[in-house]
Parts: sequence; structure tokens; C-alpha cells
Amino acid sequence: MATVERTARPRAWAIVAAQELRDLWLGGRGLLLSLAFSGLLSVLSYLVATNQALNFLEQRESVNLTLQVAIAVGALLALLAGADAISGERERGSLESLLLSPVSRLQLTAGKLLAALSLWVAALVLTIPYVWFLGRGVGIVGDALATGALVGTLLALFLVSLGVLVSIFSASNRVSLSVSLFVLLALFAPTQFPTSAQQGWAGDLFPRANPLTSGEHYVGKIVVDGHSWSQDASWLASPIIAAALFTALAAVAGGRFMRLSGEVSR
Amino acid sequence: MMRRRLLVSASAVFFGLVPAGPAASSSNQIAVSVDRTAIATSLGHKFSIRSRIANTGGSAATALVAHLNVLSLRPDVYLDPEDWSSHRTRYLPAIPAGGSVTITWRMQAVNAGSIAVFIAVLPQSGDPRPPATGPTVHVSIARRKTLNSGGILPLALGIPALLATLSMGLRMRRRASH
Amino acid sequence: MSPAVEARGVRKEYGGLVAVEDLTFAVERGQILGVLGPNGAGKTSAIRVLTTILAPTRGTFAVAGVPNTRPADIRQQIGVLPESAGYPERQTGSEYLRYHARLFGHGKESARAVAAALLAEAGLSASARAPIGSYSRGMRQRLGIARALVNEPEVLFLDEPTLGLDPSGQRQVLTLVRRIARERGATVLLSTHLLGEVEEICSRVLILNRGQVAAEGTVAEVSRQAAAPQSARLRVEADSVSEAHRILAAERGISAVELADGQPGTLALTLEDQQDTTPMNGALCALAEGGVPVLFFELEGARLSDAFLAMTESS
Repeated sequence: MATVERTARPRAWAIVAAQELRDLWLGGRGLLLSLAFSGLLSVLSYLVATNQALNFLEQRESVNLTLQVAIAVGALLALLAGADAISGERERGSLESLLLSPVSRLQLTAGKLLAALSLWVAALVLTIPYVWFLGRGVGIVGDALATGALVGTLLALFLVSLGVLVSIFSASNRVSLSVSLFVLLALFAPTQFPTSAQQGWAGDLFPRANPLTSGEHYVGKIVVDGHSWSQDASWLASPIIAAALFTALAAVAGGRFMRLSGEVSR
Repeated sequence: MMRRRLLVSASAVFFGLVPAGPAASSSNQIAVSVDRTAIATSLGHKFSIRSRIANTGGSAATALVAHLNVLSLRPDVYLDPEDWSSHRTRYLPAIPAGGSVTITWRMQAVNAGSIAVFIAVLPQSGDPRPPATGPTVHVSIARRKTLNSGGILPLALGIPALLATLSMGLRMRRRASH
Repeated sequence: MSPAVEARGVRKEYGGLVAVEDLTFAVERGQILGVLGPNGAGKTSAIRVLTTILAPTRGTFAVAGVPNTRPADIRQQIGVLPESAGYPERQTGSEYLRYHARLFGHGKESARAVAAALLAEAGLSASARAPIGSYSRGMRQRLGIARALVNEPEVLFLDEPTLGLDPSGQRQVLTLVRRIARERGATVLLSTHLLGEVEEICSRVLILNRGQVAAEGTVAEVSRQAAAPQSARLRVEADSVSEAHRILAAERGISAVELADGQPGTLALTLEDQQDTTPMNGALCALAEGGVPVLFFELEGARLSDAFLAMTESS
């Protein structure tokens, strides 16, 4: 048995994140998900680009549509990865081995969260050529990508943290994924309401309070209406708050409540 | 980066010397002028118009609001002013007698064709007397093809193909190492 | 020197269900403790409490001298093979061990060296680069034991390491365990149903039943504690059964001789004094003198399994 010298302990969250990233990307799952994502964007951008009646404004709206789809699907992928983070290990029986290591639960949570977020980063990178192609004629590529990166990262951070939070308390992966998807659908539902339902103080408050609708609104104002970044900055409040709040909640829950069984011990 | 070519009409090129149109009675003291009355540009380009709102009366003019109006001179072109400029209503500070206020209106050429832009100034009280208006600025927007749809296919096929190749390569590498 | 593992009044409840009640015992360094009990006795719960996976409802314990108030420090000193350990199917054995070595503080190079050495020790070097999904159950158990050793633990907890293995696999695992205990000097807590193996490799035994300690001590002490009735079973050739029956029935100290149901040629003997087995010596001599070859002989009630059954059934 080799005698080894232990160096100063490297940050455990980085070790966890590195292994999770290897499992996700070198294991092939990340690439397959990215392939599906790029297929979706390819179909969308092809349909949009071959629309011969496209005028200037419609082109901006096409860029906006592509960006909104990229943010929605990219954040969804990150949510699903987050929802699998702890309950998936629990279901596969490999959580106990991790809990038996000297790594704190908080660092374990942080590492898994970061790795899940990589799916959004990959989605964002893949979106660049599509947005560049659709937007270069109308001079909005830079603004569109920057806005998409900002809003998408906030939303992805919010949803990944939500997924991890649900995963910590779910006894099985099925429960974790179901609850996470249900919450996501509930957040998307208001976007389908008719315009008449969005009148009055409630019609103004709810879209602002919902980080998904709020982020979608902000991106649209920049890309389609050409607003400046500060003009609608108040719409960024709920994505920022949601990202910060749920990241903190996931960290606290992971540090204090991560258990073998997924239930809070009595 | 697209080159911007902004052609300026030879008829009126300097700020403040293009007179206002006939002023209404209550707005006798208000005169609206613009820096130019003809603009030629291309689709998607941004441009601006500087307007000067002068108080030619003997007393201060207060509680005024200026509004930018945009319309298509061709009946077959639908134009939504909100697309051209998102900040078309400005509430003016008090203008002392003999004083003036300068406002810059930033716009983007969203539709191709022949467009008219003018500025109207009216009191916030809702006084029914006609507003003071500035001269019409004629904006000619050349149509320009902003999207070459033929180039989408290599992109739409290439990126998924690249990812599929990477995925297969990874799988083969995993099998070989085992 | 403090014991390697010491528990005092440890209790674990799940809602209204008491899984472990008043667990008190100590294991000295270098010993191998066999933890026995029927299904639901609380073995896994006890191990999970001692390995800091579960918090005790009451009581205290210390592992390698570290009190239960410092669970992260305890985890640095122990290696654990959980009962239902799962493994990431797509990772290779080498990658898996390197990862856990890094979690325990090894650098990249030392983790690589540790993984290679442990795979060799567990007999898995040839499968180091194969995905764990291709491993047999026995290989996974050995991989799990290897993972439990990445931090050179002072105390090793093995929960049902031979579960689901064929006899060959069981033998491999237990040989590995014995070698680990001997060569590393680690203290081992081994939870198993295989009483024969416990008798073979464990220096001490702890029997749990319905969450409580039913017996604790060396194998001999526990066997005696049960005071299981002594009887014997022997097998002779089929055509010698009646002659053997006649000889044994006449022997002093043997109160009954019966044919064992469903086992041709097998006779079950009951001793008059169930604590005194010396009459068996005379009985065997009498059979030899009578020309009846004895094919098989076993003294029942002196085995650990007898004590185990007596203790767990009587409760």
C-alpha cells in the first residue's frame, strides 16, 4: 500500500463539481441534451430565416423568439439536472457513500449545483451562432446575446437551485422531477393568459413578480423595442431576487437537511 | 459591422433655421423648429432629430408637453409609431419669456418607404386650442435585405451534426478504453 | 488507550418506531466484531448511527476516540461499506476510487496511486478501466471495500458484505476482510447473516434483537450464554442404522436415539445432561468397536448459530 502525503485539502466543492461535470459531459448525457437543444434551435431558425416576408421588425422579433426559446429550454435542462442532483443519487444508492465522506453537505450541494448549471452555459454557447445569423442584419447581436446571457443566467440559477431544493427533500427521482416540472409549468402558465386578464394592478404585479415572465419581458424590450438596459431595469428585480433567494435556500437546505432518506428527521 | 450611410438633403441642413409652421393662437408664444427637414437612411438605422421649442411670448410658458408624431406617407405601409421611438412624449420644464428648450428625438427606421415626422407642443391643461407644430421632416428609408436566408442551412445542419459527431466519438472512445 | 468503538445508551427512533434501544458496547482496537441479528433487529440502523449517517435519538458514542459531537472528524477515521451500496454505472472502478480518494483529501497524483493500490488489493486491477456497470456483484462488493479503505481508516464498518454472493464470492470477500484486519491492524465491525464466517474470523460477537443487545462477548462466551440444549447428530451407512441404534440406545448418558426425519442414515441423539457432552465420546467409541463406521458427526447447541437462534427466537 503506497504511503501518500496529503496536501492541503483542495476545495471539496470543486472536486465534486469536476466529477459531476465529467459524469455529465464525458458520460455523454450532456452532449445528447445539447444535441436535442441545437436541433430545436436549428428547426426554429430555419423556419424563421426562410420566411420571405420577413421585415425589419419581424427579424428583431425572430431574434427575440430564438432567444426566449433558448433561455426557456436551457433553463429547463438545468432544472432537470438540479432535480436529479440529490434524489438521483438517493435512488441509485450512491448517496450514502457521498455522505460518508468528510465533505460537508454544503460543499456537496454547491458542487452539484454548479455542474447542473453547465447545461445552461452550454445552451447559451450554442445559441450564439443562431442569434448571430438572425440578428446581424439588424445590428442587435451584441445586445441580444448580452441580455440573453444576463437574464438566462439568473433564471437558470433560480431554476437549478429550485431543482436541487426539491431534490433534497424528495424520496425518489420521480417525485423530484414531477414537482420541479409542475412548478416550472405553473410559472409559465401566466404567459398564456389573454391580454384582458393582464389588466389592473394584478395584471401588472404578477408578471413582475414571476421571474420567468419578468425576464421574458425585459429581453423583449431590449431586443424588439430597442430599449436601453436601464429603461426597464425594474423588471430584473424578480429574476435577481429569485436567483439569490433560491440559491441561498438550496445552500441552507443542503447543509442542514440533506439526509439518506429524503425526509427531515424528527 | 454595417456601414452607416446617412445622406442629408441639400435643402435645409443647419439647426434652428427651419421655421415653425403657422402657430396657433394660444401657442402664439411657442415656436417649434427642427434641425433638418429631410433625412435619407436605410432600414434599421438609427437617427435623431433635434427640435427647439422657443417661447416668443412676454411671459413664461409652463406645463407644456411635446409629442413626436410619426406616420407613413404611403397608404400601403403600416407603421406603428411605438416601434420607431419608445419615448415620444416629453413633459417640458417652464420656458421663460424669450427662452427655449432643445429636445433630441432618437428613432430607428423600422419600415421602408416614405415617412413623415413632426413635433406638436400643447398645454397639459387640455386646452382645446390647436397645438403648435413644427415643420414636417420627410424621412426616406431605403429597403435593404437584412437576412440572407440561404445561409441558414449550413448552420442549422452543421451544429447538430458537429454535436452528433462529438457524441459518437466519445462513445467510441469509451468503448475502446474499456 | 480508548476503545476503537464505544457506545453508551444509544437509541434511534423513526417516529414511533424504536430501531435501536440502549445500545451499549465497546470494541477494542484491532478486534473484529461480528454484529448479528435477524432482519429488522436494528443492525443497519446501529451502523448508520455509529457512522454518523443518522443522528442518535439519545445516547453517546465515540469512534476512534472521536465523540459523536464531531461527525465530520469521525468520518475521516472510518471506512464504510453500506448494506445497499449503489455505484455510478458509467464510472470506471479506477475513476470511482480516485474520486473518493480526492474527497478524502488526496491530491490528483496520490489519489491515482491509492486507487491503483486498492484495486490490486481487492483483486480488481484487470477491471480497473471497465465501467462499474459491467462488474459482477462480488466485484462491486470488493470495490466497495476498496473505497472504504481510501482514507486508511482506523475502523472499518462492513454491513452485509457478502449479501447476494455465491459461496466463492463470499469466500473472496471474507478472505479480503481477514487480510485487511491482519495487515492494517484496523478494527472491523462486520454485520452479516453468515454465522459460520463470524465464528471463523470474528474475535467478538454482538447479537441484536428487536433493537436491543441480546448478547455480547467472544463466540464461546455467547454460545455458553445461550445455554442452548446439547444434542448430537450422526450419520452412518443405511444398512448399519439399526445396529447403530442398538449400540447407542445402550450407552449411558444418552436419553434418546431417533431417526432424523427425511435424512437417511442419520440419527439424532439427546443427552441426559444437556450441559455434559462427554457421553458422546463413549458413544463414538462403542460404534467404532461395534464395527459401525461413522460418516458424519455434529454436536448441536455448541455453535454460535444455536445460540443465535435461541436468543432471537425466545425474545
